[in-house]
Amino acid sequence: MTDNISRAQFLRLAALSATILVLPSAALADENEITRNMIFNDPESPTGGNPNGDLTIVDFFDYNCPYCKGAAKPLEKVVKADGNIRLVYKDWPILHPTSIIGARLALGAKYQGKYLPVHHALMNIDGYGVEQEKMIEATRNAGVDAAQLDADMTAHADDIARLVKRNLNIADAIGLQGTPGFLVGPFKVNQALNEQGFVRVVADARARQKTPQSK
Amino acid sequence: MPYVRNLGFVTVLLGFIAGVLPAGAAGIMPPDQAFQFHAEATDKGGVRVDWSILPGHYLYRDRIQASVDGQPVAIQTVPGESKDDPNFGPTEVYHGSTTATVLAEALNNKTTLTVTYQGCAENVICYPPISKAIDLPTLRVSDAQDNPSAGAPADKSLDQDQMVTTADAANGTEDETAALRGRGLISTMFAFLGFGILLSLTPCVFPMIPIMSGMLARTEGQLSLGRSFVLSSAYVLAMAAAYGTLGIFAAWSGENLQAVLQTPTAILVMSLVFVVLALSMFGLFELQLPQSWTARLAQSAGNKGSVGGAAALGFGSALIVGPCVTPPLAAALIYVGQTGEVLHGSLALFALGLGMGLPLVAFGVLGARVLPRSGAWLMRTKHIFGFVFLALAVWMLSRVLPIRLMAAMWGVLFLAIGGYFVSFWMLAKPRTRGHAAAVAIGMLSLVYGVALAAGAGASIYEPLQPLAAVGLVTANATGSSDGLHLVTNNFRTITNEAGLEHAIEVARKQGKTIMVDFSAEWCTECKLMERNVFSQEAVRRAFRGFLLVKADLTHFDGDSKELMKRFSVVGPPTIVFISPDGREIQEARIVGDVSVSGFLSKLAKAVRA
Repeated sequence: MTDNISRAQFLRLAALSATILVLPSAALADENEITRNMIFNDPESPTGGNPNGDLTIVDFFDYNCPYCKGAAKPLEKVVKADGNIRLVYKDWPILHPTSIIGARLALGAKYQGKYLPVHHALMNIDGYGVEQEKMIEATRNAGVDAAQLDADMTAHADDIARLVKRNLNIADAIGLQGTPGFLVGPFKVNQALNEQGFVRVVADARARQKTPQSK
Repeated sequence: MPYVRNLGFVTVLLGFIAGVLPAGAAGIMPPDQAFQFHAEATDKGGVRVDWSILPGHYLYRDRIQASVDGQPVAIQTVPGESKDDPNFGPTEVYHGSTTATVLAEALNNKTTLTVTYQGCAENVICYPPISKAIDLPTLRVSDAQDNPSAGAPADKSLDQDQMVTTADAANGTEDETAALRGRGLISTMFAFLGFGILLSLTPCVFPMIPIMSGMLARTEGQLSLGRSFVLSSAYVLAMAAAYGTLGIFAAWSGENLQAVLQTPTAILVMSLVFVVLALSMFGLFELQLPQSWTARLAQSAGNKGSVGGAAALGFGSALIVGPCVTPPLAAALIYVGQTGEVLHGSLALFALGLGMGLPLVAFGVLGARVLPRSGAWLMRTKHIFGFVFLALAVWMLSRVLPIRLMAAMWGVLFLAIGGYFVSFWMLAKPRTRGHAAAVAIGMLSLVYGVALAAGAGASIYEPLQPLAAVGLVTANATGSSDGLHLVTNNFRTITNEAGLEHAIEVARKQGKTIMVDFSAEWCTECKLMERNVFSQEAVRRAFRGFLLVKADLTHFDGDSKELMKRFSVVGPPTIVFISPDGREIQEARIVGDVSVSGFLSKLAKAVRA
């Protein structure tokens, strides 16, 4: 009585049943769940410094934050001089309506490998409440292919929005009060530092990494 | 990466770098202390707000905004100082204190005034915009929730979709929220398409064949291959559209009902529905419309051979014949309703209809010969659906039932599936390769079922490591399970302030000190602490005499933020001790990871206090 089922049909049924069983759990997986891996190794977050460095600094900043801009130069200087620090850039646009525009320009430029030039160009515009036009001007002058950037910002609008939302969630979860915020190895530094400050916290972070569970 | 393990990512670095700070700042003030906000009525019926600003902090004039019931209103500010710092550009700021006024006209008969402002600590940090809601009758100030007009720019712009292009800086209108969920959409659609094709193999779709062939047969003159393709496609597309419409309704009601659907009662009810559907699939009873209805539809079918007619027929027959496929359709609808996304739901069901119709198109074009013969294997299909429904029922129950019971239920289900396939093989004569595959699946399923059931006996549920339960992969899985279970069983878990109040009440009666462990699933540091510290025998002994409470911050929502705020907790892991009279024992507080000896000395402090 069961002769009518063919092998092909059987396999097809089996495969489809598996799809249906897997579907609900896959659809419910929450991409906003915060893990340490997401903070340090989000593949979409731009990075700088030494990719194999023994210490990672995560930088949360806003293109309208004067103190982020003030801290950016000493940070880059310390990272360069040290040579063994990996830097993760988290665009965290919270201060001003144009902040999100800056973040989109920089993250859009990532797709043509120009995140860092645009990031530095935007960080070099002094002050708070930077107009959108100024940001676009600075981006153009940073050596990007403008047409390509337009296309990338459109094509990757969702990826960029998702990344920014992830950054917002992370900053929220680790309790940052405002910009700038840095994670330096085991330490959270929620304020602008000068060069001396960065050197010191980097040294302390390294010292702490060597002695894990001590308090 | 070793440093990742050791990162206590809420370890706050304060005094330790004080020596190297620029303005000698000793720490970050919470925004409400840096900018103390106050509201009072003016003589003329308006509202005046003022801020006391701590030394070293300032507010931006152009970021002071007001809205009433969601609509922006004018707020009058006083001239500020101009920041002449070259780093700043022309910005007006306030130091010390300032004031602003909303006139009476803007407040007519309104209930809530929301004021948003923003400032920085000099050379240290800029705070995100702060929103305060002022209840107009009483002038009571509270934190504004999700203010629509002036919140954090990122949230606002992301939701409103400002898309900037370098060319003209224009605004785009793409629907980002839909796109944000877009990644899952394709896979969902394919899954439902497959589901539909699977459904088309059930006898349920067969009543549609006479309807459609009737339509095609009555078409005047010779029917070309192309024409019959167009007609049957129109029929099937319309049928899919009908399901898509159903999906819209399901998703809409789902949006409203989603909260309700997550309650244990609703979950139990729906699991029961799935069980009933499964029983129907196993042939215990039929869910079908009276024959006369389907017959009448076939009678009046397609008097003309127009595409529109075919489409109308498809739409109609989907709705009328549709109930025949009720069980699977209901399953799909419930799934869609639970995810609560209109577009998603509608497209998914459209794909389902399309999948169901594809074989019909093939039939319409090529005639009856190509369709598989209905027979015993169709019964098998229904049975497989039955198992799928049972699995869905168990999956839904997993949200409300204890793990041990879950493991047992999955175990039984897989045993049943295994038994089914094996008996299928044993009864079959002659045995083909299909039967061999069946018995293979059956045996695997039996083994998996036994492993899960054994795990249930030992209170272990590791669906992806079933062998842990039977002791083949013991080291890791059972070790951690034991440790964690012993510990967590002693903790009572709370997620909001009400839970905490209750715990404090209990502790007061018992005269115990409370240990509140702020923890979250995503907090690796917390997990390490539970494993390395809480599980130690010495620590467990020291726990006696404490009321152990775990404040679960996994769902980082308003409730958990309130809970954290109450004790000024920055994030997990933080452990707060509360004496029986309800005060926090400040000197015993633990922030970040801690060694066993460090933890024990804090416990001792808490006991002495």
